[in-house]
Amino acid sequence: MAENAGTSGTTSNNGNSVGFKEQDQLLPIANVGRIMKQILPPNAKISKEAKETMQECVSEFISFVTGETSEKCKKERRKTVNGDDICWALATLGLDDYAVPLKRYLLRYRELEGEHKPAANHDKVAIVDNCNVEDGDNMGPLI
Amino acid sequence: MRQAGTYSGILSGGISGKTGPHLLPLARIKKIMKKSGEDVKMISGESPIVFSKACELFIKELTQRSWMVTMQGKRRTLNKEDVASAVMATDLFDFLVNLVSESGNSGEAPPPLELDTFTSS
Repeated sequence: MAENAGTSGTTSNNGNSVGFKEQDQLLPIANVGRIMKQILPPNAKISKEAKETMQECVSEFISFVTGETSEKCKKERRKTVNGDDICWALATLGLDDYAVPLKRYLLRYRELEGEHKPAANHDKVAIVDNCNVEDGDNMGPLI
Repeated sequence: MRQAGTYSGILSGGISGKTGPHLLPLARIKKIMKKSGEDVKMISGESPIVFSKACELFIKELTQRSWMVTMQGKRRTLNKEDVASAVMATDLFDFLVNLVSESGNSGEAPPPLELDTFTSS
């Protein structure tokens, strides 16, 4: 199956398309699939179309929340969207279960910014990930 | 001076401590944010990092909910209809309803669960 560079690979064999997005508007399918696998039992399988759907949903999630944050910044006459705005937007949109752990995550990230020399962002993310933001925060256990 | 292992030890962990780095590409997140609207002019350095975590939580929640639908159907392969069903069954994911409908949900998915009772606060 030929892949068109830069265009969406989300069209399945039977012609149904998840939605047409350029690949650079989606997070990489490998990364998305990896995160999905983390939460599923070891013997679970994920169809390629399910991963593609998830890619689309995540991009929509980012756009949806960013829309809220940019509205807020506009009203407050600020040009720069920051982490607090994102946490606020999540809470406003009913996603408190994300807003609370993310605020902690953000605080920890800012502490590290002050403590260490400027490291690559991925170093700081890994360190912050090692602290107390658990997947199960404010979310019920999987039955 | 950096101590050996201070960063590499953590980096070789990952959130579960079992897998390698699981990061989502920050530049791509930033690109998606910018495309979401003309009003998005400037984005602080921490924003894609916060979103990276938020996306991780989002993917995990939607995957968990989708998996419940898969199990209801006594299957082991999570398919896109399961994702669509999970979206339909969760008020919080209303913003995704049009997106998953466009994907041509066949309507043969099992009736939506009351998934909002799944999370306990």
